[in-house]
Amino acid sequence: MRINDRVFGMLMLILAVAYGWEATQFPIPFGGHESVGPETFPIMLSIILGISSIYMIVRPDPDEAWAPVPMLLELSVVVLSMLAFAWAIEPIGFMPAAALVVSFLSWRMGASVVKSLITGVTSSVVIFFLFNNVLELALPLGLLEF
Amino acid sequence: MDTMSLLMQGFAVALTPESIMFAVIGAILGTLIGALPGLGPANGVAILIPLAFSLGLSPTSSLILLTSVYAGAMYGGRISSILLNIPGDEPAMMTCLDGYPMAVKGKAAEALAISAIASFIGSFIATIGLVILAPILAKFALRFGPSEYFALFALAFATLGGITGKNQFKTLMAAAIGLMIATVGIDISTGVQRFTFNTLELFEGVDFIIAIVGLFAISELLFFLERHAGDGLKQVAINKLKLSAKDIIKVLPASLRGAVLGFVAGVLPGAGASLGSFISYTLEKRVSDKGEFGKGDPRGVAAPEAGNNGAASGALVPMLTLGVPGSGTTAVLLAMLISLNISPGPMLFQQNADLVWGVIAAMFVGNLVLLLLNIPMVGIFVKLLSIPPKYLMPIVTLIASVGIYSVSHSALDLYFMVGFGVAGYIFRKVDIPLVPIILGMLLGPEMEKSLRHALVLSDGDWSVLFNSGLSIGLWTVAILGLVLPIIVGPIVRAKMKKSKESVKDV
Repeated sequence: MRINDRVFGMLMLILAVAYGWEATQFPIPFGGHESVGPETFPIMLSIILGISSIYMIVRPDPDEAWAPVPMLLELSVVVLSMLAFAWAIEPIGFMPAAALVVSFLSWRMGASVVKSLITGVTSSVVIFFLFNNVLELALPLGLLEF
Repeated sequence: MDTMSLLMQGFAVALTPESIMFAVIGAILGTLIGALPGLGPANGVAILIPLAFSLGLSPTSSLILLTSVYAGAMYGGRISSILLNIPGDEPAMMTCLDGYPMAVKGKAAEALAISAIASFIGSFIATIGLVILAPILAKFALRFGPSEYFALFALAFATLGGITGKNQFKTLMAAAIGLMIATVGIDISTGVQRFTFNTLELFEGVDFIIAIVGLFAISELLFFLERHAGDGLKQVAINKLKLSAKDIIKVLPASLRGAVLGFVAGVLPGAGASLGSFISYTLEKRVSDKGEFGKGDPRGVAAPEAGNNGAASGALVPMLTLGVPGSGTTAVLLAMLISLNISPGPMLFQQNADLVWGVIAAMFVGNLVLLLLNIPMVGIFVKLLSIPPKYLMPIVTLIASVGIYSVSHSALDLYFMVGFGVAGYIFRKVDIPLVPIILGMLLGPEMEKSLRHALVLSDGDWSVLFNSGLSIGLWTVAILGLVLPIIVGPIVRAKMKKSKESVKDV
């Protein structure tokens, strides 16, 4: 199967065209047109990307297998958990958020529930104190502030 | 003579207690990072950059720290090659060939010690080479004008895939993507907004450190999950070290040859550490094989190890003197320099002489530290290596995110990091190399600036890009670098594969 490269090449071709078109729409800089403006370099790039994506569509490499659907779902859950961590770090605080995400990750990587909880809690507490007290980089306390 | 006195001043910087402390910390962290499979040197340095940055270390200290990490990672790569038969990074692959058989025969400790000595010789000789060659090259590079620089940047991208590169168009595509990301933000010379979609956060462009950590570290985590590699691998037990002076003398010639070859491979564009260790191994096999290579010959351990460490130091020559890195890890070191507001290139040796020479001297010190650390303390590193990735990877991810977060205390940076991680996962699935993307983001602004300077000076005449002998030469090399791998690449790859397979049969 050589689908991956074809699809990816197609997406990149669209990107190249959109990017190149956008570059031609830049407002004319103050002081009028010069021989090289802000659009020159981007247009060159869009041509290079266009050529290489056409090559990719015409002569695709063999596919590397994608993970099966359940694994892809699991990876999406992991990505979501990291986004949730990013969101939670300020309102909830570094320690609880980090403990949760590290435990979750290590559980998903195959550690037992108890061991992953221990890993999560210890690492987040150690890193918090290391950063706040030794390296003096303040991390948000969040809910634990009171 | 001038070089000597500058180097002595460098040692004065490198031998202060503070510098030695950072060299030791860097060496230990680096060895650990290199030893963990899947967490290569580029990754490790990338995770540490935001930390060094937000700790407010001085440029000299952060560079000493990170070059020691770099050197340490090269040392560490061999530990997993020898004990697990899995290279920690690509250049360490050739060390597996004789290192693992030695370990299986119950000589793991000897293999580790010999490779540590060979690594030391490799780095030491290559650092001497760096001291000699770098100032000459820097002086030469002062003659470069904007059009030569533009050609040089093109050369860097063209040769980045290396002689073993699989699909040159994918390298080109990756470079274009990286350069495109670099154009996002307010244009420096005209103030026009480009691709910002009126989003305030994009006005300053996309921070390459976030991109590096996301592309490397987060995508690695996703791959670990996918492969169910959380449990780690079985390693060979380590024995008690019995190493005589005779054994060391026996591997000296192999190490010396490997070091020199590695250095040359490291300096040349497009060769890099993988090729350095490969050439060193094959040459050594040709010179001194009596049917023992591939079955645990100590010289087969020493030569590629000296080669890849030599190449690692050699790769610093183009990075420091021209501002054009030749490998992923040196690209990450370049990111460090740029974010410290130091522009590498020929002027670096004049404007920041004490910094450059301090770092070079620190490399000598760091190497000595690494040798001293690696022989007695190898047991500790081996213990740490046996912590399964299912505990380690989440913690590494956490440290990476903390680093990113503490640069500007913004959760948005973390979203970007995760986004780049997902992108990196997809890129790796379709075999788009990540290093040209990073390099594109790093070199983009400079490359565009030199194009514009050249064209403004010539009043829009594009032929200015090819009007000096020097720039024509650079373009020629660039085109060769792009075309040669298509012809030679399959042959070299087949050879590397063959030598790897011949070992598996034994």
